Amino acid sequence: MPIYRYIDRASFVHRLHPTVKVLALFIVFWSVYWVDRPVAFLPLGVILLTLALLTGSGPNFYSLRWLFIIIVTSTTISWMLVFGHRGAWVTHTSVMFGLGRGLKLAELLAASVLFLSTTKVEEFMVGLARLGVPYRARFAITLSFRLAPLFIDSYLTVIDAESLRGLDFSEGRIIERMRRYVPVVIPVFMGALRKANNMAMALEARGFGANSRPTSFIEYPVRPRDIATFVFLIGLGAGYFAMYVTGFGLIPQ
Amino acid sequence: MKPIESTDAAEAANDREAATVAVELEDVTFTYHGAEQPALIGARLRQARGEMIGIMGASGAGKSTLAKCLNRIIPGFEDGDFHGVVRIGGRSLDGARVSDVAPMVGMVFQDFEAQLFSTNVEHEVAFAMEQVGMPRAEMVGRIADALAAVGLKGFERRDPTSLSGGEKQRLAIASVMALRPSVIVLDEPTTDLDPEGTAEVFALIRRLREQGLSLVVIEHEAEELRGCDRLLLIREGRVIADDPPEHLMTRLDLLEECGVHPPDLNHVAARLGLRAHLGTVAEAEALVRKHFPKLADIHVDSAGETIKTPDPEPAAAGQGAPLVEIRDLSFSYPAGALVLDKIGLTIASGEFIAIIGQNGSGKTTLAKHIVRLLRCEPGKILLSGRDRAAMRPAETAQEAGYVFQNPDHQIFAATVEDEVAFGPRNFGLDADEIERRCAEVLQAVGLETARRSDPFLLGKGERQRLAVASVLALKPRLLILDEPTTGLDYREQRRMMSLIADLNRAGIAIVMITHTPWLVAEYARRVVLMRRGRKLFDGPVREFFAQEEMLLSASFRPPEVAALGRRFGASTLSVDEFVNWVQRHA
Repeated sequence: MPIYRYIDRASFVHRLHPTVKVLALFIVFWSVYWVDRPVAFLPLGVILLTLALLTGSGPNFYSLRWLFIIIVTSTTISWMLVFGHRGAWVTHTSVMFGLGRGLKLAELLAASVLFLSTTKVEEFMVGLARLGVPYRARFAITLSFRLAPLFIDSYLTVIDAESLRGLDFSEGRIIERMRRYVPVVIPVFMGALRKANNMAMALEARGFGANSRPTSFIEYPVRPRDIATFVFLIGLGAGYFAMYVTGFGLIPQ
Repeated sequence: MKPIESTDAAEAANDREAATVAVELEDVTFTYHGAEQPALIGARLRQARGEMIGIMGASGAGKSTLAKCLNRIIPGFEDGDFHGVVRIGGRSLDGARVSDVAPMVGMVFQDFEAQLFSTNVEHEVAFAMEQVGMPRAEMVGRIADALAAVGLKGFERRDPTSLSGGEKQRLAIASVMALRPSVIVLDEPTTDLDPEGTAEVFALIRRLREQGLSLVVIEHEAEELRGCDRLLLIREGRVIADDPPEHLMTRLDLLEECGVHPPDLNHVAARLGLRAHLGTVAEAEALVRKHFPKLADIHVDSAGETIKTPDPEPAAAGQGAPLVEIRDLSFSYPAGALVLDKIGLTIASGEFIAIIGQNGSGKTTLAKHIVRLLRCEPGKILLSGRDRAAMRPAETAQEAGYVFQNPDHQIFAATVEDEVAFGPRNFGLDADEIERRCAEVLQAVGLETARRSDPFLLGKGERQRLAVASVLALKPRLLILDEPTTGLDYREQRRMMSLIADLNRAGIAIVMITHTPWLVAEYARRVVLMRRGRKLFDGPVREFFAQEEMLLSASFRPPEVAALGRRFGASTLSVDEFVNWVQRHA
């Protein structure tokens, strides 16, 4: 079960400088922060959808389709209920607000999926480096992508092993069910400690930390397309901020 | 002026030393933090440049501890009390960091999953060079050289997680080679590999040796270390022998005492009263023909006799009532290729079946279907004549139990007894019955005195037996064991297999997934060979080992004693059988 979903293609987005990709992710987060009105999410949605198609990231989006559906639906409904008042839960405003929140989360998720589909772990590290994140911290972040699938595999195996000995996770109240996870949590945790220890040992043995300024095999020269994308992203971020300032991106009260 | 002269002389002596000695250990002792006894006691070692040294010993004897001293993981990474001196190329490692030693000593670990960090092969090899601050221009050539050396040229863009076990381990070796260390240490590099991966790694080790690298290889199977210049035998933290293979490998009792599987060919020679170190099956054949003139003219074509075993084999299948019937089972994981392709298999009560095949051939997936960890669509599985899909978990558990490869995937309780009682409690058995079953199965697996012990403090072999006990407590009629001897030393392997054989004699059918040829030869009575989701062979074990071409195509190297028997036209599967055959015919 890979958590890191890089799809090896040679699309325009794949070839962008890692710092630009990290910036793009930031700009999407920035943009959706300022608006609530569903129609305001449309330009960004169209951009993300087009890029998903152009970069061949479709399989990743398809595999997460239920997550998108659940997020949009549940967020829309719950925010409708929160926003509604005095017994009138389904009003034009509450529906707009709920839908806006659902789209906001969906676009954040879509941007993340697109980022993971087009950016290697090593590129992510380079991007973080340009943003001033210290080497050990960014290595820890990228290593978590490597470790997560190993832990998930281990978790699934433990679930199998304990269910064969009659452990039923579907019975009882919530507290009782949580208690039933003890026989799962302990082996997974112990295994994770062992794996992390082995990994740390292997890292040290391969010279990790030998030089305070490690070199990089991957070189990313800044090209005109990076500059053009950078300008576009700044424009996009500014445009969304303008939607907030002008009130276009907000739901009329 | 005098001191300068003496300094020059000392430097010259150091240079000479560095030119000839790769590794030197002087009275190295190490006690892990919190341990009562040292793991390594007064170890001394001097390895010449270009020499290959094998280290053997039981689990916990101190092999890995010694290896970790060579690249400063001990005491740099592991906490504990360290005494002694380690020199690499004449330079003392005292005060050095682990990462400082990486360019001098490369280390390859058993757990290949834990030593790969990158998203493609090329980046993986570059990793160590980046860490030491090497310029990119230099990396390019070194990556190409390292990948060519391990036979992974053309894999540069591949994701390491998509490689086979053998390829991953070769990649790990390439990654340490890129720094061009003078010494490479390999700590049980093939333990988790299938036969093909194991063959790949040992072929690479032979090539590295030919290139003049100094190698230290830790291994349980003595046969694999025949090509070493010297072998070290470690027992309870002490190096008790340091000899060339031809001397140490004829001390069979000592090897067995130390948890090492002695080479079968030397065992045969000793049993026939011919103490000798035999490097190949051809050498063994020549020796036997020379000393037993009556056998000199027996060839495969002229013999053709299949010997009778002391315990005659039952029919391959259908000897008792069918316990498991698998019909037309196909399976693929979501968005994946077909893992099982129209498999049919019948397992009768009391059988002992070995399922073998390369990693990814479908062995574990097939076994998981039997215990209902996977749904079978299309296909059907009957357990004792009943449709498995209609059975409740408790009913399935009484028909078939599954012991996972890693016992640590199920152990969680505070005491051994609680661990065993977990299953019966979940299935609602009463306290008296649980108590009775715990006592019974703990006795069966030899853990009756450890009832109140903390399972996490047991050794790997004991934890594996505990895992078997906790499944046995549910009284299954069929026990499926997924690689039950992985990571165990020879003594523990024998103990585990003797337990499994006893259970089989008591009437429990056994299905054992394994990569170890001698386990199949000595214990199983029927073999199912899987390849790409299909059954390539299903029949008696002797018939299996007689089919040389098929073994070759499956990369399954038969035990040397079986290959030796075939040269005389005898289908012998163990040292005992071959010796008996010779004695009857000579």
